[in-house]
Amino acid sequence: MKAIQIRGLSFSYNKICVLDNVNADIEIGKLTFILGKNGSGKSTFLRIIAGLLPYKKGDIHILGNDNSKLNYTERAKIVGFLNQQHKAVFPFSVEEVVLTGRAGYVNYIPKDIDKQAAHVAIEKVGISHLTNRNYTELSGGEQQLVMIARVLAQNPKVLLLDEPTTHLDFGNQAHLLSLLKKLANDGLTIVAVLHDPNLAFLYGDDFLFVRDKQVIRSATSVDAWNVDFLKTIYHGNIETIPYNGRALLIPDMN
Amino acid sequence: MPIPVILASLLIGPSQAASPSDIFRSVFNFISGNQETTDNYILLKSVVFDVRLPRVLLTFITGGALAISGCSMQAIFRNPLTDPYILGLSSGAAFGAALALAFVFIPVQLSAFIFGLLAVVLSYFMARKNKNVSIVSLILSGIIVSGIFTALLTVVQYFSDPFKLQSIVHWTMGNLHNANWSKLQSAIIPIAIGVTVLIIYRWRMNVLAMGDDEARTAGINPDKDKLIILLAATLASSSAVAVAGIIGLYGLIIPHMVRMMIGPDNRQSIPLNFLFGGTFLLVIDDFSRTISGFEIPIGVFTMLLGAPFFIYLMKKTNIGLMW
Repeated sequence: MKAIQIRGLSFSYNKICVLDNVNADIEIGKLTFILGKNGSGKSTFLRIIAGLLPYKKGDIHILGNDNSKLNYTERAKIVGFLNQQHKAVFPFSVEEVVLTGRAGYVNYIPKDIDKQAAHVAIEKVGISHLTNRNYTELSGGEQQLVMIARVLAQNPKVLLLDEPTTHLDFGNQAHLLSLLKKLANDGLTIVAVLHDPNLAFLYGDDFLFVRDKQVIRSATSVDAWNVDFLKTIYHGNIETIPYNGRALLIPDMN
Repeated sequence: MPIPVILASLLIGPSQAASPSDIFRSVFNFISGNQETTDNYILLKSVVFDVRLPRVLLTFITGGALAISGCSMQAIFRNPLTDPYILGLSSGAAFGAALALAFVFIPVQLSAFIFGLLAVVLSYFMARKNKNVSIVSLILSGIIVSGIFTALLTVVQYFSDPFKLQSIVHWTMGNLHNANWSKLQSAIIPIAIGVTVLIIYRWRMNVLAMGDDEARTAGINPDKDKLIILLAATLASSSAVAVAGIIGLYGLIIPHMVRMMIGPDNRQSIPLNFLFGGTFLLVIDDFSRTISGFEIPIGVFTMLLGAPFFIYLMKKTNIGLMW
């Protein structure tokens, strides 16, 4: 069984086609990165899987469940989603923010078991020292870790992240990506949209590229780092420098 | 906290015949088994049970309903500047009351309630597009609906004679001095229903305050939950407005005070808003009854007393709002 199996998926925003007859498979327990240039439809693709955008054509199965037949509560127990940006309005404590991830399990008021799940998630992300701080007073990197704890409190089998490193500094990007790699090694399926192909290359197990309304998966992960192929993805002048038997990308300075 | 204030409020009033010491003596006699049959006792009983008690209870549920509705609306609209009046409720209710006061064909409370509710329903459906209600369009349509009803209110006032005009103006200032048991009866059931629903949904408000995408992917349907909360808050606050008139800014200020006291977690702050909102309005009403020979309308008083207190709290504590 695949973690996510997509067949014949098409999607349009106001009659402008974004994805056309897409087929893709995502493997269980791997860290998969989605890459592509701005506006190529990466986020749209992820949001469709997360159940935030209704699709009319195509089939999506998540761990064997037909995505279009799941309601919000059922889907939340299988799939977790982290938005590109999160803006907080009220100064909730970190604990209260993480606890809201339990909404799918809670009738009206969370019980002790939900509080325990929230604390387990907080520990897994390594932010126990922030538990009683106000979310609004934390740095961008800390807030992102809190939101990851929130989504883990949900106990999803598949975790979808939309550009999780965008607002983070270099050190926090590395910290977050190694956390994701560790979670994937523990068996969680993770799919993340990423802008930086080098970080993707260093941390990822598998790669999907969105280009010309299609989602392309290279035959092998080594092929994915073929410079001619990447030039077609980013439409730019790219050079490569060798690193650990693969290649790192740098812009062509000439 | 609420119970001592309710009891103390029963002791206060402009009547010469019912001073606190008279009431204490009667209560003491009652407890020790001495029967009192004097005229004074009957008068006392009537002042306390027929005048003061309904007023105290009505004031309490009015303040509680406005505060709890304000807090709920701030949570679901993710906007700390929201209150029950933002969707046109007060101007709708004021127009309804004016219409009834000027042309008298339906009871004032009923008319205020219907038009208050109508204004919110209008705002809601004007903002609805493709089954989605965005917060910005909801607040915009609330402003437009408010404008329409305010214009209509002016038209009614223009065609009213001076005597009726005075009662319209008095109603819009908010007043609790003509409280009685029947007013209390008409308000208590819709307020109880609204408040119960809001208390049940109090933790859901934490989830909704995270944002729509965050609520959906965590497993709840924000559109459905927001509609239920909006209806409950509108039911409670429009019933309060119908019996008490417009008590300005109350539903905005109290939730902030409660948040400054115990933090933003709605699990605690929703019930506390009802208790504190009720108690605080009772204190304000006690002042408005006793501070001068005539009664100052409570709507005026909430502003004059609430605004400085609010500014004080805002300066003193860090409310940590981010926008």
